[in-house]
Amino acid sequence: MEEYVLICEDTMEGMLTGVYEAYQIKKEKGISSHDLIHLAIARPTMNRLFTQYYDVKSDQIKAEKVIDTIRRVLGEQTYYRVCMAMVSCFEDKADTVYHTIVKGLMTKDKMIMDRLQEDCVNATFRYARASENELCHMKQFLRFSELDNGLLYAKIKTKQHILPFLMPHFADRLPADNFLIYDEETGTFGLHPQYKQWYLVEGVDFEESRINYSAVEEEYQKLFQCFCNTIAIEARINPRLQRSMLPLRFRSTMTEFKKV
Amino acid sequence: MLCNFALLQIRGLLAVWGIIVEYLEKYKNSDHNFFNMDISCSNIAVQTTVRKGLLDKLRILTDAAKYDVACTSSGVDRKGNGRDMGNCVAAGICHSFSADGRCISLLKILMSNECVYDCKYCANRKSNDIVRATFTPDEICELTMNFYRRNYIEGLFLSSGIINNPSYTMELIYHTLYKLRNVYRFQGYVHVKGIPGSDPRLIQQTGYLADRMSVNLELPTAQGLEKLAPNKHRKAILTPMRQIQNAIVQGKHEVAVYKNAPAFVPAGQSTQMIIGATPESDYQIMSVAQGLYDKFAMKRVFYSAYVGVNEDKELPAVCTASPLLREHRLYQADWLLRFYQFRVEELLNEKHQNFNVLLDPKCDWALQHLEQFPVEINRAEYTMLLRVPGIGVKSAQRICKARRSAPLDFDGLKKIGVVLKRALYFITCNGKMMYNTKIEEDYITRNLLAEHEKLPFDKDFVTYKQLSLFDDSQENVQLL
Repeated sequence: MEEYVLICEDTMEGMLTGVYEAYQIKKEKGISSHDLIHLAIARPTMNRLFTQYYDVKSDQIKAEKVIDTIRRVLGEQTYYRVCMAMVSCFEDKADTVYHTIVKGLMTKDKMIMDRLQEDCVNATFRYARASENELCHMKQFLRFSELDNGLLYAKIKTKQHILPFLMPHFADRLPADNFLIYDEETGTFGLHPQYKQWYLVEGVDFEESRINYSAVEEEYQKLFQCFCNTIAIEARINPRLQRSMLPLRFRSTMTEFKKV
Repeated sequence: MLCNFALLQIRGLLAVWGIIVEYLEKYKNSDHNFFNMDISCSNIAVQTTVRKGLLDKLRILTDAAKYDVACTSSGVDRKGNGRDMGNCVAAGICHSFSADGRCISLLKILMSNECVYDCKYCANRKSNDIVRATFTPDEICELTMNFYRRNYIEGLFLSSGIINNPSYTMELIYHTLYKLRNVYRFQGYVHVKGIPGSDPRLIQQTGYLADRMSVNLELPTAQGLEKLAPNKHRKAILTPMRQIQNAIVQGKHEVAVYKNAPAFVPAGQSTQMIIGATPESDYQIMSVAQGLYDKFAMKRVFYSAYVGVNEDKELPAVCTASPLLREHRLYQADWLLRFYQFRVEELLNEKHQNFNVLLDPKCDWALQHLEQFPVEINRAEYTMLLRVPGIGVKSAQRICKARRSAPLDFDGLKKIGVVLKRALYFITCNGKMMYNTKIEEDYITRNLLAEHEKLPFDKDFVTYKQLSLFDDSQENVQLL
């Protein structure tokens, strides 16, 4: 049986366009089952036999149509979960998300994400959970520093690309502040101007060495370091527990672990 | 003609209105800028004048506050108001973890470590010769605002030693909170201690500014309190607890009737007690905790393993290992009370006064009640699923949701996140057990013990070794 692989961009828009195209191809070619169609975010190093490869060009309108359908038929909760799965770092995320959507739409099941026995739903669930965890970690461990113009600046390094989900949290929390979050992994900036809507910027040259911190910044960093060091009870010192709650990979950007 | 005139007038009015609106906008903005400037000015003041003092004060008053357990920022969901800094997330956010592995969620400090009381177990008792310090309300506000802004903390936890008398101290705390909420306009989380013996009106007013209030029970029984904290009385502690509980209930009614009524302690109240300083059994402690949940509608009861800081003939020796395993078991049992619908009487009784050191309370219970097992995963009620070792709240919920669409097998359970190596002795899927296992207490105990329990402290940790050999409460009795 011939299989079809659609290669789409590694963005939410790209993958959702892929879902649209998959339905289109199935209809046009009269393919018997969705199981024969796969989505991928990168071309495999070796092509398989009896498989046709197509490149999908991201299309805003097609993606929006798919989003509309998901929200209408599968509900907001499912849509959020699917989005979280799509920003995760797993290679087969596009395929699992696609098959989850197919399964859901086939039965018009708003509770599709509860059917954890199904492999694709389970994978989507796990991927979404990975993103969710990363998002939680960033809400916890992100640290702003104040620059000399009053702007708050934070650098993050995420496996899952959750910056778009992180921005609303801080925009709600610090409406009166100009702040900027820089995701080193993707080179994306999230900007929030005072009392205005936040937005994302991509592909800007950025030299970290040119940043000037404000005069009080160092003082507050010292104060916080002092606080963190003092709050621990000597009789209960437990580095293993600390490491399991706060893994080492986050510590490079955290104020309290900076060497003075 | 008349009509035209009227129109003109309306237009004129509109124009004037437009100017007023514009003026108001400007005024509002300028007010804001002024306000922002005010804060940054005070930052500079911190910079140049009080800076050195502030660092020392922070060190002293953090050190004095570190034995307080509660550092949670959960229980209230408050969106930002679009103008001021801060919001609250229902689940709470931990911003860091200190070297002892405890979470740092709030700026946990004392207002002052000066104290007129002489509680035997406390590092800040008046008979101790230590460096004393007191924060001014402005210093606390500035620290909170600046830490919060940098995402270091989720809010403020303010407690205090007793300066002069309880009411005076409570008033200082109230002033600080008032300033933080109304001058600095902080909208984040605030946890504040209610000082037993202070004027009820002060507690009432503070409650409108805080998210969570707590009054420390200090020790599980009145006798223990009398012995170790001569200035504190059980009744004086329970009175503000009851007051806060009643005010929360009343506050909820008020919010229901008047939409904008200020919320009173929206995240509920909590309390804490010290474990291991006095010879109470686990059964006594858990009964007290259950009483607090039932009768005082507590959100949380915290248990704090006693850490020796003072030499005193009434206390265990300073070198006594802190009963961490016991504290861990109490928290496990506490979870069973709050989320697994257990009652203390099921876990412990007069004959069986302390928890098993080798097994967690849920496993222990299951082994004592083997007649209720095995449980059929595809049919059992949610409450029964919760009682199976290896199935947590989340797994039980997922099982209930997943089995609606199709029956579950062991493979499905594994995917859902059930810890099968513990659960397999207690469950069946579609009438079959996973392996051919016996439902026999000794056999299951042996197998469960072979799977080493994950504890939050190291196996080679001195405390754990000592505790696995002796029952620590007994040990403390002997020491006394």
